[in-house]
Amino acid sequence: MDMQVAKKKLGLKERYAVMTRGLDWTPSYQKMEDIYPCIAYEGIKIHDWDKWEDPFRLTMDAYWKYQAEKERKLYAIIDAFNQNNGHLNVTDARYINTVKLFISGISPLEYVAHRGFAHAGRAFPGPGPRVACLMQSLDEIRHAQTQVHSISNYNKYYNGMHDFHHMHDRVWFLSVPKSFFDDAITAGPFEFMVSIGFSFEYVLTNLLFVPFVSGAAYNGDMGTMTFGFSAQSDEARHMTLGLEVIKFILEQDPANVPIVQRWIDKWTWRGYRVLTLVAMMMDYMLPKRTMSWKEAWEVYFEENGGALFKDLARYGITMPKCAEQIALEKDHLSHQAWSTFYNYAAAANFHTWMPDEDEMAWLSSKYPESFDKQYRPRYEFWREQAAKGNRFYNKTLPMLCQTCQIPLVFTEPGDPTKICYREVDYKAEKYHFCSDHCKEIFEHEPEKYVQAWLPVHQIYQGNCFPEGTDPTAEGFDPLAAVLKYYNFENGRDNLDFDISEDKKNFDEWRGQATKNI
Amino acid sequence: MSYELTIEPIGQTIEVEDDQTILDAALRAGIWLPHACCHGLCATCKVQVIDGEVDHGEASTFALMDFERDEGKTLACCARLESDVTIEAEIEEDPDAESIPVRDFPGTVTRIENLTPTIKGVFIETDEPMHFQAGQYVNFFLEGGEYSRAFSLANPPSTGREVELNIRIVPGGRGTTWVHEKLKVGDRVRLSGPYGRFFVRKSAPESLLFMAGGSGLSSPRSMILDLLEAGDTRPMTLVYGQRTRAELYYHDEFLALAAKHPNFSYVPALSDEPADSDWSGFRGFVHDAAKAHFDNDFRGHKAYLCGPPLMIDACITALMQGRLFERDIYMEKFFSAADVQQVRSPLFKKI
Repeated sequence: MDMQVAKKKLGLKERYAVMTRGLDWTPSYQKMEDIYPCIAYEGIKIHDWDKWEDPFRLTMDAYWKYQAEKERKLYAIIDAFNQNNGHLNVTDARYINTVKLFISGISPLEYVAHRGFAHAGRAFPGPGPRVACLMQSLDEIRHAQTQVHSISNYNKYYNGMHDFHHMHDRVWFLSVPKSFFDDAITAGPFEFMVSIGFSFEYVLTNLLFVPFVSGAAYNGDMGTMTFGFSAQSDEARHMTLGLEVIKFILEQDPANVPIVQRWIDKWTWRGYRVLTLVAMMMDYMLPKRTMSWKEAWEVYFEENGGALFKDLARYGITMPKCAEQIALEKDHLSHQAWSTFYNYAAAANFHTWMPDEDEMAWLSSKYPESFDKQYRPRYEFWREQAAKGNRFYNKTLPMLCQTCQIPLVFTEPGDPTKICYREVDYKAEKYHFCSDHCKEIFEHEPEKYVQAWLPVHQIYQGNCFPEGTDPTAEGFDPLAAVLKYYNFENGRDNLDFDISEDKKNFDEWRGQATKNI
Repeated sequence: MSYELTIEPIGQTIEVEDDQTILDAALRAGIWLPHACCHGLCATCKVQVIDGEVDHGEASTFALMDFERDEGKTLACCARLESDVTIEAEIEEDPDAESIPVRDFPGTVTRIENLTPTIKGVFIETDEPMHFQAGQYVNFFLEGGEYSRAFSLANPPSTGREVELNIRIVPGGRGTTWVHEKLKVGDRVRLSGPYGRFFVRKSAPESLLFMAGGSGLSSPRSMILDLLEAGDTRPMTLVYGQRTRAELYYHDEFLALAAKHPNFSYVPALSDEPADSDWSGFRGFVHDAAKAHFDNDFRGHKAYLCGPPLMIDACITALMQGRLFERDIYMEKFFSAADVQQVRSPLFKKI
């Protein structure tokens, strides 16, 4: 009788290799460079794709099973939240403006990230990164969907969210996150992985995603909070992928180091400029604060990021130069941003307001170096004016930075009393910048950034009015036409929180929910 | 009350304290398990329980689904043992690792030698021979077994019942002071071991580079003696640093080995030797000596590091700048309380 020798069970690593790399093949009648045309032009040299170490070992079949179960749970909680009128349990109606910022500013980025990872995955000849990108691509489209579903209940009751994707593609301040991601997905596959996979998902995610989710938790928004928990196991995978990408590229060839350094410098700054929206959200828009922007920056970037760059130094990578300027701005960023949105409240899809006395005291304690000196007097003046019926709405159009597309509202590094302006002449045109870093990014790739779709320029060129608008007609109101083009309902979606329908309705509904009227 | 945890596929068994998580116990035993958030949310540390009972603790229901609990999955960062347990984790199986069970080894002190003004060689004859892999360490029970300290074995496995520990006196350190001042030939003592996953990857074809400093010579010495005895012909280099010539113990032994074995190179370095001494070797730190010796190109090596933290840190940087990366660098990883509190980036796993 033959003895059956039991086959040794495959280890997790071997099993994963069989299910991923084992599925790859070498083409016989097409050239590699024809199949993978985007892989060489960025100058990154890869000698051995097999050196890629899989950062996680999730196979496609396990992925479906796990994610399906997770989403069943998430939707059960969202249903319960909705049926129970959970929206009336948030701290107060101001919180909902955070949700508006998220759905119109961030969720559409998840969808673009889905496209970006699909594209990057297609571009890589190595099966390891290809599989990792495929999974992240699926995560991102799931996140876009589940965010839209989590937040859609608010849209039944509150204004400003009814056409978030249309707004994302048109509204002046939403061009900041939109152009950030457009910049990334129009870069080569390696730059995309460093920009989004590493700089965004690893270095900056704790400053973007976490403040929204912990803000939701602190302010009674169970739907958004639950979405955050359900996404966290995906985010952990994204972070490990970001780390593996950077190690892999840096170890493959010393010539890759300066290229990667330039990308890290660029994308840390680009990401930080987008975080301006988060900074003001943390310091002004959450009725119940989690921590100040400055504290978050110190913990998540200066401390954790510092430890990371200490390790990266072994590869010859240094802390991005812009970190020095960011440290100078951390006492000012959120205040300058909120002041700007308070000014432009007529042209945003969410409401703004002046902080009350308690909130001013909180801001003074968190920003002892700057708040009482530079920002409190300004707020007190605006509040006074509003009380007299002179709530100021700025109706002129600001100058935008050609790179980050933020209005030129930031001050000189080290001098909070002087607005920072930079400019470059390129091919007989003048381009404007908010900072030295945005200027440098432009100067390195001017042909890319001269194509920027700048909302203010587009308005002046007449490209942001509804079709059939005649700007030469008697009594033409350009702002009204632009709001129509944005699909904002003037007087409902915009203006000050105090006079908003949201505030009135929330108070009334909450009253009905807690009293016998 | 503590339980035993066996970790597959490496087959190593470790003790887990009552309130200790699987992850904490594994990391402290020098076994790296994948992990990230450390509080049950991210699922990076998910492992399969093959045998035994665990309490899932604070694991989030999103990170560890009900069906996964039914399948015996758990999150190492939250799970506590309720019996002896066997898990399977995502650890690379190492073809060169032997799983040697930890045992107690009573023995007698046979010799104590002054190797340098600060380091004593303590030779112990164990009642039973100890089987170990060159590079591993033992716990040495001191002052009648009241407490223990970890020391790497300085002898090769071939010496049979006699083991050698090289013990540097730590100013103010209770254990090492006791060894230096009180321990006598003829004393009965107890060791437990062998511990650790610091051993030579014998199946790897690369040349070997050993970097040692301070009292970190023990493991590399054991490894080199073991390899040379076995007739290994791969090129191997020991870069060995001390502050002064007086501290450079076993210098003559390595000179003799280098003379005898053409595949063995010996590069001693002194960082604080008086300028007017007759030392003709390298002056400076271990990493600088290695850089100079290899012309800043370490490719094609497996590197084994042992020494004080600052030396290790400088060596890793030098190796990586000379294009040798984490997968080819090995060292004993001791986690101290200070390590746990320090903010660390997860960029590197083993180094």
